[in-house]
Amino acid sequence: MELKRGILKSFDAGTYKATIQVAGSLSVWLEGVAVARNIPAGEMVPERACALVFFDPGNPQDGVVIAVYT
Amino acid sequence: MRTLSATLLAAQRQASRLPYVRLETFDRVAGVARLHFQRLYTGSEPDYFHAATMPGDGSLVRSRLDPVTYTLYLQRVASPGPGADFSAWTSAGTSSAGAGLALCSQGANVLLFYVGVDQHTVYCRESTDYGATFSTATALIVALDPVTWMAAAISPSVVVGLFYVSGATIWVTLRTGGTWGSPGVWPHSLNALSGLAVAYSGDWDLALAGQDTSGYRKVWTCIYGDGGAEPVGTWSALREIARASAGSQVSFRATSLASADVFRLFFVEKYAGTQSYQRPQWSHSLASASFEDNLWREPVPFDLDADYGVALVAGEDYAWLCCPSGVWRAPRASASQELTADLLRAVAETYSDAGRLRVELRNDDGRYNGVGSDALRLGSELALGLGYYTSAGAEVSSGPSYWVESLEHWSGEGVARLVIHASDGWGLLGQWRARHQYRWAVGEASVLALLRSVFARAGLEVVALAPSTTLATFAPAFTIHPGESGVEAARRLLVLAPDVLYFRGHQAYLKVPSDSDPSDYVYGTVHPLLAGRYRSGDGPANRLQVYGAGVMAEHFSWDSIDQLQDRLRQVHDMNLTTLAQVQDRAQTEGTGDARLASGGEIVVPVNCGQELHDVVEVTDPVAGLSAARRRVTGLHVEYSATGQPVYRHRLALGGV
Repeated sequence: MELKRGILKSFDAGTYKATIQVAGSLSVWLEGVAVARNIPAGEMVPERACALVFFDPGNPQDGVVIAVYT
Repeated sequence: MRTLSATLLAAQRQASRLPYVRLETFDRVAGVARLHFQRLYTGSEPDYFHAATMPGDGSLVRSRLDPVTYTLYLQRVASPGPGADFSAWTSAGTSSAGAGLALCSQGANVLLFYVGVDQHTVYCRESTDYGATFSTATALIVALDPVTWMAAAISPSVVVGLFYVSGATIWVTLRTGGTWGSPGVWPHSLNALSGLAVAYSGDWDLALAGQDTSGYRKVWTCIYGDGGAEPVGTWSALREIARASAGSQVSFRATSLASADVFRLFFVEKYAGTQSYQRPQWSHSLASASFEDNLWREPVPFDLDADYGVALVAGEDYAWLCCPSGVWRAPRASASQELTADLLRAVAETYSDAGRLRVELRNDDGRYNGVGSDALRLGSELALGLGYYTSAGAEVSSGPSYWVESLEHWSGEGVARLVIHASDGWGLLGQWRARHQYRWAVGEASVLALLRSVFARAGLEVVALAPSTTLATFAPAFTIHPGESGVEAARRLLVLAPDVLYFRGHQAYLKVPSDSDPSDYVYGTVHPLLAGRYRSGDGPANRLQVYGAGVMAEHFSWDSIDQLQDRLRQVHDMNLTTLAQVQDRAQTEGTGDARLASGGEIVVPVNCGQELHDVVEVTDPVAGLSAARRRVTGLHVEYSATGQPVYRHRLALGGV
């Protein structure tokens, strides 16, 4: 399991998935990352910092945004 | 195991043996010469569209466009080199305000392409005297949309290919037998194009930059067929080299491509955010990869700030780089040096995910005090050949290549040595770090293709002669996070399939181990056995549970469970969605665990062809072993020509 810091770039309230700029990746963002349903859609504001958990570090689909902050 | 000659095989089995170890160094990475560019000219010309070519007489012909007056300038330097004058330009009229130039040459013929002030008409001027004089301009094409970027090349059959960007589309026109054909358009759709380059190598090989219809900024390769990899007149798919997400403020432009020993590529990466930059990046294809394979070493920054990049020219002896205010050159040949005669000691260790080499060279007369600038320098490739003096003379078998990580001079107490520390392909892979997020969606690339992509970033090739079905067909969702090394990514990929990896030369080989593999070599009978240590125990687990997305499978080692109770290990992989996939993984990982149940090592006179994952038979009556089959899980070879001479292999063993 791996914990990563990121910046929220966009959020789709329909699928509850987000595009995240994982810290250290200037040019390429990670799309389609699941977002914890306990985070209200209204809090998913672009450019907010976020925390991601990857249960399997090599599988981008096996991760979830667990917090947004600032 | 590498095949050995009958004479070398006989020599290494004799009771009395005379070692021969060959050591060479090359200024290359994974078989590709490293180019060390030296700047020959620094001027004050403004950065804008430009081009360069080198006709058959070795002169350097350059052209550039002034960004204020849009004056087209030409330059020919008859003998380019240190001290040559690269500052004299001749006006050749006025060109389009926003269009690139193209130059190409073959023998005495040089062709210059530029766009007229109407931004739609493409003109050609030709020289038949190596660029000393040019014909008057001929209008070739009037494009529908404004022309921006152009690229041109000449095939060995003297067909001239002109490629140009009009709108967001690439067009091509060929001149065959002196007659220009009708322009043809490519079948792809992009939002925009911001760079175009072409080199001929059996096909018209293109490198382009732009923005796709999803908003991604990318660098791609594409082939316009001439009967090589693509049929004549057809376009290949676009194959990605670099990408940037929409909104990241990173974009790519101004590509330049040359086909020399391998394909060499430059493009500009531009960042418009805080601390903005526009910096050329450069890369090369792998030693034996085709353009179609699209396997490129990780592009790295070139020390220049230039929005319009550099023009790359492959001359006979040098590679040349040009921009309006600069000229660089680098020798194309890779320097090499034989170190065998000075070798005092060598220790090489090879394991399943690491390999190191340490060699000591005599330096009593200071012969290596000046190293670091020629064939032997940081990053140079070392080839170590293990061998013996045989009835046919000195013979060796070359093992994995190593790359120099550090050079250390020893002095004092009567010792003067140069010590070289190097690592094998795993070292190169470990030094590569993901500089952004890499992501592949489910079904996009097989594990084998993913391994090839990761190894290519470190400059390494992967050879899979008989890959497992899983390796060749399983295409999981996969990501490499920024900052992670190639070793971490490779480890994650290798656990997905039963295949194991080892290095031979600068290539990584994959094979599927099986308990029915034939034995590669025999110790203790025809090949002496000096010492042995054999362990029977248990692997990390004897019961494995693999959980996928809604499916689960188990693997049991019943004999071990009977003796030791169950030792459970669980694997979770949401990429596994079918029962067959979890069963396959359980079998793969369970078998791998079982192999670790047997251990030990043997010490033998050096077997010059021994490789990782070979199956050997060991006969050691003292320990009660008769033709016991083991798999080589590690190799440690030591050679010393000083003090007590040593030349032996220590082989780590596991289950078959």
